[in-house]
Amino acid sequence: MKITFVQVNGVEKTIEDARPGETLMILGRTHGVEGILGDCGGGCSCATCHVYVDPEWQTAVGPPDEIESATLDTVSNVLRANSRLGCQIVLRPELDGLRVTVAPSG
Amino acid sequence: MTAITEANLPALPIETAAFSRNPDPFAAAARRIHPWIARFSQGLVVHGYQATKDLLADDQHFRPGFSPAVAFYGLQDHLWGRFMEEMLLSVSGEKHKRLRSSVAAAFTPRRANQVRPQMRKVISALLDEWAPKGSFDFAEFGAHFPVAVVLGLLGVAADVDPTIQLGLENQLSSLTFDPAAKPLFLAGWDVLWEFSDRLVIEREASGLHDPDALLDVLIEAKRKGLLDETELRFMLLVLVVAGYDTSKNMLALTMRQLIARPDAYARCAEDIAYCGKILDEALRHSSITTPYRTVCEAFEYDGFQFERGTVVVFATALAGRDPAAYENPLSFEPERNPNNRHVAFGRGAHMCLGQHIARAQLEEGLHLIAQRLRNPRLTAEPTWRPFLGTWGYKSLPIAFDPSVS
Ligand code: HEM
Ligand code: FES
Repeated sequence: MKITFVQVNGVEKTIEDARPGETLMILGRTHGVEGILGDCGGGCSCATCHVYVDPEWQTAVGPPDEIESATLDTVSNVLRANSRLGCQIVLRPELDGLRVTVAPSG
Repeated sequence: MTAITEANLPALPIETAAFSRNPDPFAAAARRIHPWIARFSQGLVVHGYQATKDLLADDQHFRPGFSPAVAFYGLQDHLWGRFMEEMLLSVSGEKHKRLRSSVAAAFTPRRANQVRPQMRKVISALLDEWAPKGSFDFAEFGAHFPVAVVLGLLGVAADVDPTIQLGLENQLSSLTFDPAAKPLFLAGWDVLWEFSDRLVIEREASGLHDPDALLDVLIEAKRKGLLDETELRFMLLVLVVAGYDTSKNMLALTMRQLIARPDAYARCAEDIAYCGKILDEALRHSSITTPYRTVCEAFEYDGFQFERGTVVVFATALAGRDPAAYENPLSFEPERNPNNRHVAFGRGAHMCLGQHIARAQLEEGLHLIAQRLRNPRLTAEPTWRPFLGTWGYKSLPIAFDPSVS
């Protein structure tokens, strides 16, 4: 599947061979996407995998659950309505074509 | 490719008192031979910043766990040995995920901010009691509030039985590989086990239920079959053990830096956001833990082959002082604003669960301490705890001018 990141430095990076089942954080980290750090390895506790989901993809991706939303408080100064933690988004076929913007650090 | 066990690596005398008093000359000498890795009596020590970030986050090739310490003391069949091998910090994969998710909701940054008023209450009450003394051992003072804060999260009365504190005091000494530590941590263990067992039994008998109390959340998880009886007790213990030495040592190390910087200290009394900045630099400059790992699957890194079974510890304090990552690493500069973020809370799946609680309580602590203990000064040379386990001051004797507000 195809996933596009707008990196923190503004440069777009498109990954064509993303696999369903992996998380957006792991995908970004494996491909050296600028700004996706994933310090806690996907444990939903560090918020260093924060992205803004493109508005047309928001419904498909869905909202954060309670713990994710509470962890997003770490980055409250850069929080938006379309904020998600990349490690909590598991890729599935319906997300083919997804586009996200990596958020600046909080 | 060189097998890491065959490589010509320097030795770091990380278990010695001289090292814990001042690791910098030893680290500098080791770096001249190899920039990021050395040996010690039980295995390897990673001390470079980049290697720490890369390898500590590598949950695929490394497993955490204290089996080397358990085997060293011959305690495989003791309940203490089971705790050291089965608690949150020691397990991996699905089991780790299940255990961690049973408590995750209580450790989010949102929750940490919600309990700030409660933290301020605990710390203010302690200061009411201690500040009038005019002088004391700051390390001893700092030992009081982390336990009270964790018990507050659990939702149980904050007046702690002092024997628990003694039990906690000696727990992490098991990581020093010092035979003399054994009777101490075992005696402490009995007290702690009895404490957590009683906590659960009494709470269940009371019929109380408070959805905000972590103890009730855990008991509920047990009812649902997510945790068994022993896992529940081990979880309570890992929370108090992991939150105790760490917070109090970090507080005392930060205080030591502030004593040398009266202007920064005065600003801490006024500005809590500045306390956060001080804390970040303290976590870089004087980080306190040395996480343990064992290689579970052979791999290569930076020209070395790591074989299965190799024991590796990560000296986060030295990583924070790596000259390849930080300019003037030994100098304490709150305005440093590093691109290289500290590794004091670790990396990867075991990254500190309590990091948001720790930050909140240390920020609140510094802010209130700076208001109440004016003009702090050292009254004697501080003494040091072992580097392995949880590094920091054993004693930090200070005098100050008490202030009522
Ligand atoms: C400044 C204070 C603290 C520091 C520097 C610190 C540091 C760390 C580090 C480096 C780890 C990872 C260990 C490893 O990878 O093997 C860790 C794990 C942990 N910490 Fe902290 N910690 C602090 C305070 C706390 C507090 C206050 C609590 C609880 C209230 C806590 C609870 C834990 C727990 C439960 C783990 C294990 C997490 C897991 O294995 O998934 N810590 N801490
Ligand atoms: S990787 Fe830490 S919250 Fe996503």
